[in-house]
Amino acid sequence: MNNNIYLYDGTFLNLLNLISFLIKNNIKPLNIVDANYEPTLLDKIINLKITNNLNIITNIKNSWGKEILKVMYYVYLSNEKYKELIIYYFYLNTLKYKTNILNMRNLKCVNSSLKIFKYVNNETHKLKGFIRFQELANHVLYAEIEPTNNCLLLLSAHFKRRLANEFWLIKDIKRNIISIYDKKNYYLISASNLKMNIELNKNELEYEDLWCTFYNTIGIKERRNDKLRLNFMPKKYWKHILEVSDKNEKSNK
Amino acid sequence: MELKEKLTILADAAKYDASCSSSGSTRQNKGGIGNAAYSGICHSFASDGRCISLLKILLTNCCIYDCKYCLNRKSNNIKRAIFTPEEICSITMNFYRRNYIEGLFLSSGIIKNPDYTMELIIKTITLLRYKYHFNGYIHAKAIPGSSEYLVKKLGTLVDRMSANIELPTEEGLKLLAPNKKETSVTNIMSTIKENRNKRFTPAGSSTQMIIGATNETDLDIMTKSSNMYDNYDLKRVFYSAYIPVNQDKLLPTLKTPPLTREHRLYQADWLLRYYNFKVEDILSNDNPNFNLLIDPKADYALRHLNEFPKEINTSSYYDLLKVPGIGVTSAKRIIKSRKYFKLTFKDLKNMGVVLKRASYFITCNNKYFLNKALFNKEFIENNLVLENHQIPKPSLTQLSLFNE
Repeated sequence: MNNNIYLYDGTFLNLLNLISFLIKNNIKPLNIVDANYEPTLLDKIINLKITNNLNIITNIKNSWGKEILKVMYYVYLSNEKYKELIIYYFYLNTLKYKTNILNMRNLKCVNSSLKIFKYVNNETHKLKGFIRFQELANHVLYAEIEPTNNCLLLLSAHFKRRLANEFWLIKDIKRNIISIYDKKNYYLISASNLKMNIELNKNELEYEDLWCTFYNTIGIKERRNDKLRLNFMPKKYWKHILEVSDKNEKSNK
Repeated sequence: MELKEKLTILADAAKYDASCSSSGSTRQNKGGIGNAAYSGICHSFASDGRCISLLKILLTNCCIYDCKYCLNRKSNNIKRAIFTPEEICSITMNFYRRNYIEGLFLSSGIIKNPDYTMELIIKTITLLRYKYHFNGYIHAKAIPGSSEYLVKKLGTLVDRMSANIELPTEEGLKLLAPNKKETSVTNIMSTIKENRNKRFTPAGSSTQMIIGATNETDLDIMTKSSNMYDNYDLKRVFYSAYIPVNQDKLLPTLKTPPLTREHRLYQADWLLRYYNFKVEDILSNDNPNFNLLIDPKADYALRHLNEFPKEINTSSYYDLLKVPGIGVTSAKRIIKSRKYFKLTFKDLKNMGVVLKRASYFITCNNKYFLNKALFNKEFIENNLVLENHQIPKPSLTQLSLFNE
């Protein structure tokens, strides 16, 4: 153990390369952080500027299996404070036990990783349902999200298959990134680089109204259960879900 | 009639159908819009807490039948409406693009005759699949009494097709739905079972029973379900607590729908499908109804306490599944993990085992979690009942001494 904090460039590839380097050289970091980290006076931050080995992802997949890589990637996408350190110990133990360690839940790093994996996976799954697109005047579909974890890339892969022949944009307001799909591929860019004119299609409000009408009708009054609804649809998502947002006044009556 | 009013009438008339699932299909997007998600996706949750994944509507609420329990029965004086196929396509496509829904759930009252209604349903879904190239999930109701070739045709267009058995007993059906015959429903189920493959109703079939409208016991209901799972390979049986929408001397008068009973039936249904339980394990002629205070699995455990406690590190998969608080996921995790290390209570907690329920029924490395002297039916039963009924928190506002 030393007391150094190591810096990576924020990408998954660079994180794996850095971790791999640290393990090879027997260095146990105090923490691993990206450029957004705000250091305190006592922190010793070291930037090794590791050159990326592009094959590292394939190598991990071939040696330890797709599942191991997937868990590490999902942890990387999470909002967990020490996620880099968790990935470090997860990979360290994979190398130590030379096997698929996912069943070894008595290891703290495995248990934490699987919990975070589940959280990211669940949130992505929820958002696949909760995202609401609006049709803009130029027929592009536009949605805003504010997830706890960074689900945008996983969601984009889903909508690439589903809405293959539509132009769509999904904006993560919290991280200020936007996913653009051009009927072939999607691209994630910083939202600051895109000037947008959000003008709704003339039919849009009509369909929003129809959907709210459906929503207000489909619940059975005699079975009203607000607690159950909140369980499945947590309040933090409501702002961007048309039928329970402020736009639908009747939804709570 | 305006589209909005039609939608209100025909969604309102469809809302009593409990089925909401959109899972089990792997339909791909072939040059159009939409695909199915094998796990299913919930897009919203209604004010009653039920999931909304499909646009659940009737094609029409006109009906030639007069089933006593049904809102749409012929003798009810209500506003009637009918969608045109184009209207349904337009709403479905526009809702789907905006990601409001996972697909369409289309049912219908019976207009003119069963075949005519079935043809309208087929026409609508053909239009959606071939003109609009919609590859999302479609669940259609087959109309009992329609010709077999129509059922077969509809099956090639949809992901799931179902027919509702409506009541758990034949006598109940005779009493409340004299126009319906059980065989007309089971015939549809047989056709689906015989033809099912990845192009014919890939997500299989389901059915629904109304609970509490006639005087059947839980044993009648579960026996019926079990037979239908065995004979027709159904994916799901849905249970719908009876809600009085009509006044009729043949119908019971209930103040609130029997929701706890419905919940117990679903719990037991899961035990049949995933936990290797048989109906006779959980109910019998002497004990034909579920205990409303305790769930069926805990009830089983308490009646068979001599089989417990189970040792976590050596019990078989199916023995683990018998422990209250251990579900399919955690049982599988236990089996996989214990190859690598001996499990302790802390590890079980990490795996998602509900210890506040399981701890009474298990040992870890021969250690019992609680005081072994307390391993008796009365103590455990009392604790489990209280576990289910959380003590309400005291109200935060002080009661006024002088009530207005």
